[in-house]
Amino acid sequence: MSEQRETRLFMISPRSMLTPDQLSRMVHAFGEEAIVKETCYGCLVEAPRETVLRILARVRERYPNEVFSKVRAYPCSDPRRCRAQHGTRPGYAQLEAEWALLSHIQYALDRVDAGAKYVPPKEKKRIPVNDFKKICEVQ
Amino acid sequence: MKVFIDPPNSLVLFDLVERFGHEPLSAMAAIQEKVDNLEVDMPPMNVTLDDVVRGLKYAGVEVPSGIRGRLALWGPMIDEADAAIIMDDCPYSFGCVGCERSNLMVKYLIKRRGIPALHVSYPEDDEQAVNFVAQTKEFLEGLQ
Repeated sequence: MSEQRETRLFMISPRSMLTPDQLSRMVHAFGEEAIVKETCYGCLVEAPRETVLRILARVRERYPNEVFSKVRAYPCSDPRRCRAQHGTRPGYAQLEAEWALLSHIQYALDRVDAGAKYVPPKEKKRIPVNDFKKICEVQ
Repeated sequence: MKVFIDPPNSLVLFDLVERFGHEPLSAMAAIQEKVDNLEVDMPPMNVTLDDVVRGLKYAGVEVPSGIRGRLALWGPMIDEADAAIIMDDCPYSFGCVGCERSNLMVKYLIKRRGIPALHVSYPEDDEQAVNFVAQTKEFLEGLQ
């Protein structure tokens, strides 16, 4: 991964009370030399990798289970992707799908932090032939 | 440790792997290399001849070019990975849409490498999500 430039996408869980505006203002207030772009789902942050990781750590410290992040391949406002410049935005469907999932994940992280453990789901068994016969028989 | 995630563009898996102290191997990082270093018009849609040749290592010449193109990107990451997390039973629109054969090929390559791999199911509700996160956490914390 490039050390020179890293673009991170910060997405707010729909269960959170945080808004994209609050998040981007908070990142700006860290005073790091980074490009911060507010988006509908959170914000984009672009800077050298070290700076981005510092910002990520501070965001996690403040909102541990409400803000999720991943790397973005293209830089902020790249004309091939940015909607303002009629870019194609091919990854947006995936972001939308994950946004819906984040509410469950936020709840799960809270529960796991509180000590919840993995419980294997009940194994599905085949129904015995005699029971099946009883179900099928017409009374 | 380097952990390959499948779907390789998943935000949830990327975040969880990083959160629990490992390095996720994702499609984004692989594409970023191409965006930064190559003068290709729009990676990963446009590829170079080297990519096509690299794809041949993972999929034969008779395999459709789309699968080979995807594997040219993901194959080297699977080779590099120390572990993998695979999300099963995803809805159609989740992950890199459109090619079940590529997904099957990725699962096969992971199995052939013999690295520790965790299969998790896509969580539909809060309780399933708790199981999903707890299982992922246990797996990632157990990696040495």
